[in-house]
Amino acid sequence: MFLALKEMSRAKVRFGLLTVALGMLVFLILFQQSLQNGLLTSFVGAIRNQTAPVLVYSVDGQRVIQGSIITPDLEQLVTTADGLGDVGRIGQGTFSVTNADGELTDTTVLGYEQPLLGAPAELAEGRYPRAAGEAVGASNDADAGFGLGDTITIEPSGYEITIVGLADDVQLNAGATLFVAYDDYVAAVQSANPDAGTPLPNVLAAAPADGVTPEQLVANINGLSDDLDALTRSDAADETPGVAQVQQSFRVIFLLYGLVIPCVTGLFFLIITFQKSGALTLLRAIGAPARRLVTSLLFQAVLIVIAGYAIGLALYTPLSQRRLGGIQLRFETTAVIVWAIILFVLGIGSSLIAARRVLRIDPIEATTGGANR
Amino acid sequence: MSTPALQMSDVRKIYSMGDNEVVALDHATLTVGTDEIVALVGPSGSGKTTLCSIAGGILSATEGSVVVGGEAISDYGDKELTTFRQNKVGFVFQSVNLVPFLNARENLLVVDELGRRQGKPARDRADRLLDELGLADRAKNLPSQLSGGQKQRVAIGRSLMNEPELVLFDEPTSSLDTELGQQVMELIRSEMKSRGTAAIVVTHDDRITEYCDRTVRITDGVLGDD
Repeated sequence: MFLALKEMSRAKVRFGLLTVALGMLVFLILFQQSLQNGLLTSFVGAIRNQTAPVLVYSVDGQRVIQGSIITPDLEQLVTTADGLGDVGRIGQGTFSVTNADGELTDTTVLGYEQPLLGAPAELAEGRYPRAAGEAVGASNDADAGFGLGDTITIEPSGYEITIVGLADDVQLNAGATLFVAYDDYVAAVQSANPDAGTPLPNVLAAAPADGVTPEQLVANINGLSDDLDALTRSDAADETPGVAQVQQSFRVIFLLYGLVIPCVTGLFFLIITFQKSGALTLLRAIGAPARRLVTSLLFQAVLIVIAGYAIGLALYTPLSQRRLGGIQLRFETTAVIVWAIILFVLGIGSSLIAARRVLRIDPIEATTGGANR
Repeated sequence: MSTPALQMSDVRKIYSMGDNEVVALDHATLTVGTDEIVALVGPSGSGKTTLCSIAGGILSATEGSVVVGGEAISDYGDKELTTFRQNKVGFVFQSVNLVPFLNARENLLVVDELGRRQGKPARDRADRLLDELGLADRAKNLPSQLSGGQKQRVAIGRSLMNEPELVLFDEPTSSLDTELGQQVMELIRSEMKSRGTAAIVVTHDDRITEYCDRTVRITDGVLGDD
């Protein structure tokens, strides 16, 4: 390691720049990973983190809750599905409301008929609604006038809803979201539009009977009618229009990072190897085993990847606790571990090209001056 | 009688170039005594560097026997030759001589790092050599901060770090002016003689031969004494 460390200490700027460049790439990767997850959670967290294992849409709704309408005929048909344990209605509406800070804003209200079929799966604070006019809000919106104990007023009717519980990651469409009892949802719709009559449910929340998997129930329901589109909870979240496109876009970005990192490290070490080929040839001529020189090079690559990752992580950690607009970022431990492994493999793997060049050095070049060419 | 530093017997080196074969060294036989300094003189392409490279274990002979300090290296593979170069010979090359990112002292210590790693004795030896070579105050200078003559002196120090049986100098003065070249040759002679170390000095400059005990001429790969 003598040679590796001496070289790095004498070329601090060169190695430092590479380390910082890697650190910036690591930061961008991790930050965008958090951004992707935060973005998707703010779009479909309400679907992903609710209690119903299966959601049944109408085909016309194209997997958008608000666009789906379950007619009484379809609702009746679903109740006949084999393997159905329980079923309940879910309705969704977007309302103009005045929040606790007195600001007029748009809010999504999700009404569920049964707590085990559509309510937030877990509460971070408070309790579930017990009476009319109570709601569970998203903890992400708590600082924006939707905190525990805050009263929200639906405009222009003045219908009031008080937040009695908060749940993490239960936003829908990246906006303030409230979970209320289904009757409250109906009341909210009717207060906002007295001529609307009784709204039809948008989707049905279903649970399989004992011994039946959600996937089996989905197949059974979809087999009943071409107008029904049942999905498991995770599929309903992943197949919400826009989610796949967002994931695909980020995948392309991550793929590009996956290409850039080996190019940066690989080319760096290849250029360095060419630049110091004279010294390497001399060392081979005076008895340095090729293996020793390769170890030295890989040691440098390992140090740089570790230091670069540490810099990236140090930049990412404080930012990952923040909120970007309506999107709550989070420290993604899995991403940090997975990307550390990927970067290590890519960084070291790309340095092997330079290592191959080192292995090819012929000590005779020290006598011919070929090493300087 | 002590073992010669180098015994080459009937050594041939043939390079294949396509369908043709080029004989770089033809039945070369050379013995160098334990503290003898031999000048190897010949024109460009005569086989001087090839002979030196074979004696130093950088190249393998096609035929013949090579024994350095009692160690027969003719049948050695790459790994054994690498270890042999670490321990038994010293080199001063014409062009590439110092590791640019190591200072003068570290350029000597790198020999210990590559070999048996003696630690403090090696550090003491490096300091002593630098002192003898008049470079004690330049120990921490990088090669880029040294003059041509100082660089060659550091290279001489490095070649002596492993206490070799034989030191091979390939055109050690070619990049120096006449006066500096003479100073370096005087230094080489005094260092070799004070240690009882044998040396082969490859040169095409007849003036260098004054500093050597014997001159061997080589033409078209064939050796002939003066």
